[in-house]
Amino acid sequence: MTNLVAIKGSRDGLRLQLDEAAGWPELFDALGEQLSQGAQFFNGARVTIDIGERDLDEAQLGALLELMRQHHLEPSSLTSTSRASRNAARAAGVVARPVTRAATVADDRSEAFFMKRTIRSGQIIRHHGNITILGDLNAGGEIIAGGSVVVWGRLRGTVHAGALGDRDAVICALDLNPTQLRIADLITRPPDDATRYQPEIARIIDDQIVVEAWNQQRHSL
Amino acid sequence: MSRVITITSGKGGVGKTTSTANLGTALAMLGAKVAVVDADIGLRNLDVVMGLENRIVYDLVDVLEGRCRLRQALIKDKHFPDLCLLPAAQTRDKDAVSPDDMIALANQLRAEFDYVLIDSPAGIEGGFRNAIAGADEVMIVTTPEVSAVRDADRIIGLVEAFEKGHPRLVINRIKPKMVSRGEMMSIEDVLQILAIELIGVVPDDEQIVTATNRGEVAVLERSSRAGRSFTDIARRIAGEKVPFPALDEEPGMIERFFGMFGRRPRGSER
Repeated sequence: MTNLVAIKGSRDGLRLQLDEAAGWPELFDALGEQLSQGAQFFNGARVTIDIGERDLDEAQLGALLELMRQHHLEPSSLTSTSRASRNAARAAGVVARPVTRAATVADDRSEAFFMKRTIRSGQIIRHHGNITILGDLNAGGEIIAGGSVVVWGRLRGTVHAGALGDRDAVICALDLNPTQLRIADLITRPPDDATRYQPEIARIIDDQIVVEAWNQQRHSL
Repeated sequence: MSRVITITSGKGGVGKTTSTANLGTALAMLGAKVAVVDADIGLRNLDVVMGLENRIVYDLVDVLEGRCRLRQALIKDKHFPDLCLLPAAQTRDKDAVSPDDMIALANQLRAEFDYVLIDSPAGIEGGFRNAIAGADEVMIVTTPEVSAVRDADRIIGLVEAFEKGHPRLVINRIKPKMVSRGEMMSIEDVLQILAIELIGVVPDDEQIVTATNRGEVAVLERSSRAGRSFTDIARRIAGEKVPFPALDEEPGMIERFFGMFGRRPRGSER
């Protein structure tokens, strides 16, 4: 995982923080790679690009926007302490804000997000780290996490764990009856006759998503 | 303390309008002053169900656009003078109304009535948003079908996002026999998914169809099981503690409960 591009989830959507010091071509490639890996993670999200102190000219900004568009992302805003970058952004029709940030924040995928409520049809929870839900995930609802997902309740919707490419991510639920499970680049749906009311864990074993009873697996984690 | 209650569902055809008409009438029977408002601009139905279609002169959009006073547009019910209908416009669409309009209208009605019931259109778009804008409380109607329950779940999420508090649930058109045979979602199945407070269960009843066709409401017919259920719901809305006949029982007990009121008419079950 590259360190040049950090992804932070926030209430207003996702923030893509681009390293301030790295060379532009290098950073540009790193961003492209990150967007390819996390295509599902970013899909449909509101994204703010944070370029810190970096000065971007219009050509560079244009290339950045083009790269994002290739991944079907429309940045909702750009934040930078650089006036030149903000002007370039406004010229390209992107909302620009002069928000400063404390020294570059490491992209800590071990950060966790906790939520105590039922996720209903049409609702989507997205976070760059791990997600824990105390409640149910109903069919039609979605959870998309950079890390692992734990649902302390009934999981009937769709979960994408390791959505930024982490194949070690796992999905656990007290009652795992998903519409669909995704871990990193793999997708599975449950067999049509599956109704087991027991805590289960899903993870990747030999390029396949495997679902097992929690009881059998807790010693081997 | 008057209350504005919006009745909505997400999916169409689950019984929003029937519920609004019956609950409005039942609340009026309990002695309350009630206004029922048809917020389904362009596809009005509530007037037809209540048999008041031929008395419409002005409608909701006329009021909002200042062509008449609110009082001129309100239509008195055939049976209860304290029950009034504010009909929707038929020749306009949802864009003729804004959420702010509906809030203002709800506040105007609040001054004159104990209960204002707003019949929401199906869907999650502007019409739905208008219908809940002025509401103090929301009631969700669903039938025990996966598609209706799924849409109800979506609507509950939206209602919560609009900070309208916790909606309450009506499960409509349940067929106890099918439930007991395991062929239909039970009350428990629906509640397990939606996880909101249940305010009533209405059995499937052919008398709803016959009453509607005559422009009458089922709560006025003593023999209608659905009508009795709506009366129970109205009393619960008014704050009475009305026991839930068979809720904690096994599905088979529901059937036994309904059995106490006499057998289903022959051929009512497909």
